Amino acid sequence: MQVDDVLLSRLEKLSHLHIDEKNREEVIEQLSEIVAFVDNLSELDTQDVSDTFSMSNLSTITREDTPTCVSKINDDILNHAPNSADRFFIVPKIIE
Amino acid sequence: MITLKEALALSKEELEAFKDALKTQIEANKELNGYIDVNSVGEGVPIAIKDNIQVDGWAVTAASNILQGYVSPYNATVIDKMKAAGLSPLGRTNMDEFAMGSTTESSFYGKTLNPHNAEYVPGGSSGGSAAVVGAGLAIAALGSDTGGSIRQPAAYCGVVGMKPTYGRVSRYGLGAYASSLDQIGPITQNVEDAAILYDILSGHDEKDSTSSTLECLSVADKLDKSRKLKIAVIQGHTDEASDAIKSAYTKAIDALKSAGHEVVERELLDGKYDISAYYVTATAEATTNLARYDGIRYGNRVEGKNLSDTYIQTRSNGFGDEVKRRILLGNFVLSSGYYDAYYVKAQKVRSLIKAEYEKIFEEVDLVLSPVAPDTAPKFGEMSDPMKMYLSDIYTISVNLAGLPAISLPIENAASNGMPVGLQLIAAPFNEQTLFDGALSLESTINYTKGN
Repeated sequence: MQVDDVLLSRLEKLSHLHIDEKNREEVIEQLSEIVAFVDNLSELDTQDVSDTFSMSNLSTITREDTPTCVSKINDDILNHAPNSADRFFIVPKIIE
Repeated sequence: MITLKEALALSKEELEAFKDALKTQIEANKELNGYIDVNSVGEGVPIAIKDNIQVDGWAVTAASNILQGYVSPYNATVIDKMKAAGLSPLGRTNMDEFAMGSTTESSFYGKTLNPHNAEYVPGGSSGGSAAVVGAGLAIAALGSDTGGSIRQPAAYCGVVGMKPTYGRVSRYGLGAYASSLDQIGPITQNVEDAAILYDILSGHDEKDSTSSTLECLSVADKLDKSRKLKIAVIQGHTDEASDAIKSAYTKAIDALKSAGHEVVERELLDGKYDISAYYVTATAEATTNLARYDGIRYGNRVEGKNLSDTYIQTRSNGFGDEVKRRILLGNFVLSSGYYDAYYVKAQKVRSLIKAEYEKIFEEVDLVLSPVAPDTAPKFGEMSDPMKMYLSDIYTISVNLAGLPAISLPIENAASNGMPVGLQLIAAPFNEQTLFDGALSLESTINYTKGN
């Protein structure tokens, strides 16, 4: 599997990342090498293996759905946010 | 440096005096760059904390530019547990950015030196934690291990590093990298201290949905190095390893036999499949976990032309090269058209790896394994990402299968004098056997820093 410029552009979009022109060739090369390596997974026969993996054989842990709120955390997050006012995060204008 | 066990016996006055002296010592050895900064909380025994574990009021940044400006608003569960047990956080330690790396070179705060020789890396990603313990600048430290990030730097720095069973230690308050693999664990001067700290950290936590509800028994008070165990070595496991690793491996096998353990041979899948299953799984999860860093709610924002451009500018400026690579790769393995061939396939292979270990542990108590294919590399030698990924070959199957493992120093290499650590691996939730075997190996080998 070869990564090319078209695929890199698609991955940049999915990742919300921009790779500079001067680094593109190197990134494509590195990603291609890694993807070519992990292609070895296809050598293993996994036809009879379930496609879900779970670390624990126990069922999912559940708890009562009781709402809690430590308001200090909210306050601290807002105080240290890049831009906030009146208990809101300020973001660039979305609607013109 | 006094041990954790000794420190826990100090009076309040003695402890205060010790902490003052420790801070002076840290200040005098700044060039190691193991600590990012040295803030102190509470009156307990000081423990160094990796920069991805939340301590209320501390800047906690995963050594990333994107989290500059973030101040943690709460304690991780492990921090609350430590404080309740008479320990207290002192100093946050350097690491690879978002725990993605094997050398701590990808940190926003610059490189950390190996305490044995400043030309060599301390390992990673918990390189700062291992370096400060190895340099005698911390009694013990917390690290996190996603693919070897506690065990490998511990081995490179000549100290003990332990990764608990997945689910044994709460991850509430740990900056998430790969959620099905991450575990917090202790880095200490010796095996007994690791057991003491493990006991403090472990146990069920309702704030972490992956935290196990199985009964959690204390280990340190029941340590028994006289137990005779059946320990497996893996056929051909050291074929690709350096002479330094082979020498330590042989020495450890002889020591285990002389201590009365039975050493048997078993087989495992070729490690190249571990690497593939790991890098597909870890990058997929990392992509998802790191989507939250968009510059809106915390950390470092770079304003763009509009909201979308703000995301892109923030992330492109905030993340380093290795993190970007893993995000791109994670989106590749998760994207439509590739999902089945890579992500789903990797989960199936993961099942195979877990089943193999389960089979081995039906018959044996522990597995002995190298930690890395060689001693610590020099700075710059691991700049090729693929080369770095391949060096994880001995540690990542443990994370993929969720097993507990402990790395401990065996000897210093004849070639370059750098420490060689090996690991013991146990069945899930069998930490008692893991520590018993490690204590036996440690006391038979009797490693000292200068040997």
